[in-house]
Amino acid sequence: MIAKPVLRVNETDPQTTEASTGAVSFLSSLPEEPLTRIRPHKSWAAIDLKEIWAHRELFLLLTWCELKLRYKQTLLGASWVILQPLMMTIVFTIFLGLFVHPPIKDVPYSIFLYAGLLPWTFFSSAILSSSYSLVSNGKLIRRTYFPRVLLPLAAVGLRLSDFIISFSFIFVMMPFYGIRPTASLSILPIVILTMILAVIGIGTWFAALSVKYGDVGTILPVLLQICMFASPIVYPASIVPQKWRLLYYLNPMAGIVESFRASLFNLEVNWSSLGISFAVSLSLLICVSFSFKRMEDEFADII
Amino acid sequence: MKPIIRIRNLSKRYYVSQPRIVNPTLRDAFMETLRGPLRRLNGSDRANRDTLWALKDVSFDVEPGEVIGIIGQNGAGKSTLLKIISRVTKPTSGEVDLYGRVGSILKVGTGFHHNLTGRENIYLNGTILGMTRAEIRRKFDEIVDFSGVERFLETPVKHYSSGMYVRLAFSVAAHLEPEILLLDEVIAVGDAAFERKCVQKIREIAQKGPTVFFVSHNLEVIRDLCHRVLFIRSGRLYSDGDETSAIASYVGDAAVG
Repeated sequence: MIAKPVLRVNETDPQTTEASTGAVSFLSSLPEEPLTRIRPHKSWAAIDLKEIWAHRELFLLLTWCELKLRYKQTLLGASWVILQPLMMTIVFTIFLGLFVHPPIKDVPYSIFLYAGLLPWTFFSSAILSSSYSLVSNGKLIRRTYFPRVLLPLAAVGLRLSDFIISFSFIFVMMPFYGIRPTASLSILPIVILTMILAVIGIGTWFAALSVKYGDVGTILPVLLQICMFASPIVYPASIVPQKWRLLYYLNPMAGIVESFRASLFNLEVNWSSLGISFAVSLSLLICVSFSFKRMEDEFADII
Repeated sequence: MKPIIRIRNLSKRYYVSQPRIVNPTLRDAFMETLRGPLRRLNGSDRANRDTLWALKDVSFDVEPGEVIGIIGQNGAGKSTLLKIISRVTKPTSGEVDLYGRVGSILKVGTGFHHNLTGRENIYLNGTILGMTRAEIRRKFDEIVDFSGVERFLETPVKHYSSGMYVRLAFSVAAHLEPEILLLDEVIAVGDAAFERKCVQKIREIAQKGPTVFFVSHNLEVIRDLCHRVLFIRSGRLYSDGDETSAIASYVGDAAVG
């Protein structure tokens, strides 16, 4: 290669001399090893956690922008987050509570419902929003590089902030029912963590699938509806026949919702169901992190 | 001198059209899975798919501080090359080693959100392009100054005129200071006056020392800015040399073809 001056000298530009000195710092600092090695697609690799950590500012900003956008053009703003599960609670209290009489012993049916709909609303809305997150940001994916998983993660982050608001509202409701928070609240962080693991795993997987297959968006709401009735949201898990229990608890939301209520209402915690939920959620997340990485490299080409 | 970018035998294959349906449904995927092994048996799997080598066996080194123009007809593979270097897409084969931080603008205004204000978009866009929050804060006034939209900083960008929008977008991108800067058709966005301002800005950036890749159809600007030009033709590196010879070979090729 012909040796060429690094900078094109432009007589008309007075900044040249000053800029040339600036260039030296660029040249002297070349690292020994490449910062980035770009190689063809590997079919087996897990998601790179270091890479995600390096982009944490982008994750926070994406979440924050979503939050901002959400409340910019709504009348009721944050109160929707509480109203949504509350309205569902009222509907179920009337139609199921008055007409069907589910066998609830420990607490009034309405607060039983709200305490079930809270985690459920987070679960289903977070999975739905993360499933759209890649497709709706197609432009971004085609034109910039960042770990793609940040998009479904930011969607979960947004829904988690919703959940925190609607969750705090239950402490406003509880005194009206004469329920006092007890020490059993201390298991709540484990329950919520399990739920977050499940949501990230499932949401991210559907997000990647929906890049490839257009019909995920149609089928997912149906699947979630089925999952809602397969979880103890409007009825207690105790009505599930003993022989079906193991199968029933393989749905991670079964153990999560049950333990969520147990910790709020100071009921006996079913550790084995919570344990199954945690194990299922964690293994899902690990599988998805491999499977996502496999699909990720193709996103920009097919989205 | 040690290269800042090392590219060896880089190739990228795309499947164009059938029998793969562009937007497959689950049913198609299922049928495809059933048919797949059959097709592989009678060996028609590859033959049925039209493949397109957007890049084929491209190798070159880049020294730090070089300002490289990339020319070629539409679909020649210029953008694919930048997409691979910026890690948006993976190569089919070959390798790229980068010894510096890459910043890329593959399309001006990527990541702008219509309902967010100018100020918010500066932060969002800057972060997406790879700046840290502290960096953006430091350069914020400069960015706003260059774009000339300071009066509308608190207005959602959907109310901007297209000129204002583009100016703000370019301004954010222009203040990115990576060691390797990839620019794809960034100047073809505004009116003539703004185009001049952009070219001036790119020249200023280039003089600060980063390595710049500059894709454009505007040969005038390429001749003005770059001292090395790659001419890509049907995915292959057709000529690589100083601006005069590469542009001559491109113009000659266009006249013949």
